[in-house]
Amino acid sequence: MEYLQLFIIILFSPLVNGVIKKVKANMQGRTGPGVLQPYYDLLRLLRKDMVISRVTSWIFSVTPYVVFASVTAAALFVPVLTTRTAFGVKGDVIALIYVFALGRFFLALAGLDAGTAFGGEGSSREMTVAILVEPMMMLALFTAAITAGSTNIASISGAHRALSSPSHLLALSALVIAIIAETGRVPVDNPDTHLELTMIHEGMILEYSGRYLALMEWAHYIKQMILFTVVVDIFVPVGIAQTAGFSGMTVPAVSYAVKMTVLAVLMAAVESTRAKVRFFQLPSILGGAFVLAFLALVTHIMMGK
Amino acid sequence: MKHWLETYSIIDFISVGILLTAVTLNAFKSIESYVKAYTINSWLLAGLIAVVGVLVNESHLYMAAVLTVLTKGVLIPIIIWRIIRRMRVAHEVTPYISNTLSLAISGILVAVVYASLQGGIFVTGFSRDALQISIAVILISLFIMITRKKALTMVMGLLFMENGLFLAGFSLTFGMPTIIELGVLFDMLMGVIILGIFAVQIKRVFASADLDKLTVLKG
Repeated sequence: MEYLQLFIIILFSPLVNGVIKKVKANMQGRTGPGVLQPYYDLLRLLRKDMVISRVTSWIFSVTPYVVFASVTAAALFVPVLTTRTAFGVKGDVIALIYVFALGRFFLALAGLDAGTAFGGEGSSREMTVAILVEPMMMLALFTAAITAGSTNIASISGAHRALSSPSHLLALSALVIAIIAETGRVPVDNPDTHLELTMIHEGMILEYSGRYLALMEWAHYIKQMILFTVVVDIFVPVGIAQTAGFSGMTVPAVSYAVKMTVLAVLMAAVESTRAKVRFFQLPSILGGAFVLAFLALVTHIMMGK
Repeated sequence: MKHWLETYSIIDFISVGILLTAVTLNAFKSIESYVKAYTINSWLLAGLIAVVGVLVNESHLYMAAVLTVLTKGVLIPIIIWRIIRRMRVAHEVTPYISNTLSLAISGILVAVVYASLQGGIFVTGFSRDALQISIAVILISLFIMITRKKALTMVMGLLFMENGLFLAGFSLTFGMPTIIELGVLFDMLMGVIILGIFAVQIKRVFASADLDKLTVLKG
């Protein structure tokens, strides 16, 4: 069961992205591609040939594997259906954030490696956003960690009931903004196009094609799903199982599916109702979210709940 | 009802909401968002009064809540909307410092208030947290008043400060007698009207509501 959770995340992550795209299209009055479209895209990319620039070094070809391996390792940390995770006591929020940071580091290097202007632009922007987002995520997660008395995601998820205090609400809103920035969604980055000069994530993977691009995209979907899972694990752990067996997994599975759908719809709603902001206005938004996370922590310490 | 309010600590959620609407002022760029935030703040304040009314079974608190909604939640926002329309002001708030810095400073203000009010003056009343939050709201709105240029923004700061003071008084005393509350609300209403007329006049004479330009005497 512990290891099955890994495959749940890996297999269903394109579906989550498909649902977000579908809901977003419907909100904008379009029909949109079916929810399975990301799978078709991945399959198509996996079958295609790769075009690799002659000026690239080994970093370029090793990065897709590093990125994919880092998110897969991160997937072993998070409880999906049961709080028993494959990494057990080592499944720590700080480790999770730094496993992501490893992937991001290689992604930024690969963006620079091909030597195109867009890649370098994307890398530099990604790092700027990361500087703002990482401490914010940490503060938000620490707020929940103090309640549980542990930084282990599984014990946080097992320890307390859903959203029991105002500081958790503040931390949740900060974390949602952090996730929007991390997954490259609209107020921060535009996930649908690589035709703009403002792109961040798309800029870095612009030089990839074929199999490598499939790995990169898939890793991005997995990362998105892991972040969503962390949110529901920490703030709404209703229905999650405490045992490792296969029996009685219906309730956790159904509640997890419902929570994921709600989050996906929420993300689609945010993307449809917001406009992308200029890059230089990002520090204002992310700074605001940082203050939210800070207030969450201070309120939590001072109010004691 | 009473049990339900206590289990889910509704008071805490509402007071944190009040704090949040005050903190978000630092991030807004248009005066319209200020008015919206003020309206939400006032409704939350009225909600808090009503909840405490349920908890301690005091009927005069319901009346205070209704009065708060009518004046601060409905009447004052309408008056300010009218003033904004009459002034045809540019929508920017024009702070002296950047949004990020002012958000950071208000975060620090909240931390300082929390840290310095840990023990001490809280003797009676219903919630130490509400007292801390009210004083944080007062400081943040004072900060808004001194870092924004436009006359109307300062009026909004003053209104927020009054909400904070009201909450501070309320959290210590379970609400003042109705007649005093009535007087305060009426004062507030008059104040807003007079300040609104003032702002309109400043705009007419100086062709701008920017208070930096009030340093030169005109005869």
